[in-house]
Formats: sequence, structure tokens, C-alpha cells
Amino acid sequence: MTPEEVGARLVAVLGGAAEAEVSGGGRWARAVVDVSTDQWPAALRAARDDPELGCDFFDWLSAVDELPGGFAVVAHLWSTRYRHGVLLRTRTGREAPAVPSAVGVFPGAAWSERETHEMFGIDFPGHPDLAPLLLPPGFEGRPLRKEFVLASRVAKPWPGAKEPGESEPGTGRRAVRPPGVPAPGEWGASGDRAGRAG
Amino acid sequence: MTDLPARSRGVIALLEENCTVCMLCARECPDWCIYIDSHKEDVIVPGASRPRQRNVLDRFAIDYSLCMYCGICVEVCPFDALFWSPEFEYAEQDIRDLVHEKDALRGWMPSVPPPPAHDPLGEPAKEETSAARKAARGAPTTPAR
Repeated sequence: MTPEEVGARLVAVLGGAAEAEVSGGGRWARAVVDVSTDQWPAALRAARDDPELGCDFFDWLSAVDELPGGFAVVAHLWSTRYRHGVLLRTRTGREAPAVPSAVGVFPGAAWSERETHEMFGIDFPGHPDLAPLLLPPGFEGRPLRKEFVLASRVAKPWPGAKEPGESEPGTGRRAVRPPGVPAPGEWGASGDRAGRAG
Repeated sequence: MTDLPARSRGVIALLEENCTVCMLCARECPDWCIYIDSHKEDVIVPGASRPRQRNVLDRFAIDYSLCMYCGICVEVCPFDALFWSPEFEYAEQDIRDLVHEKDALRGWMPSVPPPPAHDPLGEPAKEETSAARKAARGAPTTPAR
């Protein structure tokens, strides 16, 4: 099945209460099906159990920080029989983000959900134990949220701050900012978060 | 041992003479692992009313304990002062020794392979096309400075 057919089939199985599109990636493009949070486990189950889709292999689950748009939780499923994949996506709000756990459908999703929980702070109701998986004990903050400040970008001066012909930063007419790192006042929802995390 | 591919990313070599201390590599480096110090020097040009200033490189160091071998510095360098060398055996007992100062970076230069031949199906080099255009116009080419 082409990605278009996979997406259309999953939307049809879910009774039309979902939206399908196709990702980029040329030959490796995937159907991307957006479902509501309530439908999340049901959509995974439908993709697994539908005889035409047969997406029996749970590949991964993670999240994307969409800033004001909340968090997108994405899972990739693969059909070992038909060799096609599908990306399922749901959206949860920034305040108290929560998505029903997929452990009842794919037990292997447990570790992915633990990781997504510690990295993004998304709750997965129905998960048996959302203990941290990778972060050291006592770690504060959600490292993959965009408001999280990297300690190394706060503690270390930027080597590119110097102008050509000088050995100390700051004598240039206009201050150059490191690319991709916002000014300290703009970091996070409030400036006082800077330096706390890490 | 089998030969390494021509474009292997082993270590970055510095040709100090080509560096103009423009700071582009240090500013583009996503890992912040290039450290450059420099000072300005007056050059007295005979016949000119005022001395000209030029930047002199004092320190150029790459911290290979931070480098992620993205090669952005090599790509961004406008004056071909940085090159990929296929050498990869520079493990150290002490992490601090992974900071290669400019002498060490210069030391990698002999191992830099010659640039690959121009792709016969690729676009001709900019220098070639501009020279051909000038020749076609019949205009005298810019004298070498």
C-alpha cells in the first residue's frame, strides 16, 4: 500500500474521526494520521489489528514540543507482513499534558513512554510505573522541552563573541549573539528558569 | 588496512597562512569548540597616507573532546584555512590533551589529501566561467595584484 492508501485506510477504520496526510521523505514517506487524545490507544489498536494494515511492530514513541501548540505525541508502527509504516500523532495541551498509555496495546511502549515522560513531562495515565529511564536521580527539569536551558550554554562564554583582531569579547560595536541561542531574558517561559536546570 | 575513503572525517587541519581571523568558524561551530585569539597589527604600506591594520592570529585551538565532526567550520571557511584530514589516531590519556593548539593543527596538514578531481558532469568552476566570459567579451582580464 502507498502511504496515501495506508492513511486513508486507517481513517476509514477509525470511522473518519481522524485526519491523514503524508510525511516528507520521498521513498521513505509515511502516512501521518492525527487522532484525538481519547482515541489514541484505540487508533494504535486499529492499526495493529486491521487485517489490511497489519502494523504489528511498534517501532518508537516520542513527542515534539510545539510551543504554544502544546505537545505532539508521535508513534511509528510498522507492518512486518506488508512492509509499510504509519505515523500516528496526537496533540495534548501545554498545561498538564497527558495522553492515555499505549502499554495495553503494545507492552514495548512502556520504555518509550517512560522516556517521553522524563524528557517532556507528559503524563501517560494507565502506565504501570513512569520511573525515570535515562536521567540521573535527582535531575530537575524536562530536558527536551524547548524552554529547557542547556547548562553548558549558560556556564561557558561563547568563543565567537570576540571580534576579529581581539582576544577579549565585547569591544565590538554591536554584540553578536550565538546562532540558535536566544538572549538570556528570552529563555523559557520566565527568565528565572535560566541556570536552574541542568 | 584498507584505504580510507577520500572524504574521511578524521581530524581538522589548519593552514595558518590562509586564516584571516574572520571568526566565522568559531561563530558557526555548534559545539563552541573553536577558540581563537588575535590582535591587530599596523602595516605600513609605502605610498599610503595611513598605516593599514591587519589581524594576526595568536591562538587557534579546537577542542576535540567537544567536536562532533560536523565539518561546518571547514565548509564555512572563506579562505581555505581548514581541511579534513583522514588521520584518526589521536586518543589521549588526559581529556585536556584533546585541545589541539594551532601547532598541532598545522601538524595535520601533510596528511590532507589533494582535493578530488572536478566532476566532468558537474557545473564548471566559477573561475573558469568568469574567465571564459571575459575572454568572449574581448575585455582585458583584471591584472593580477
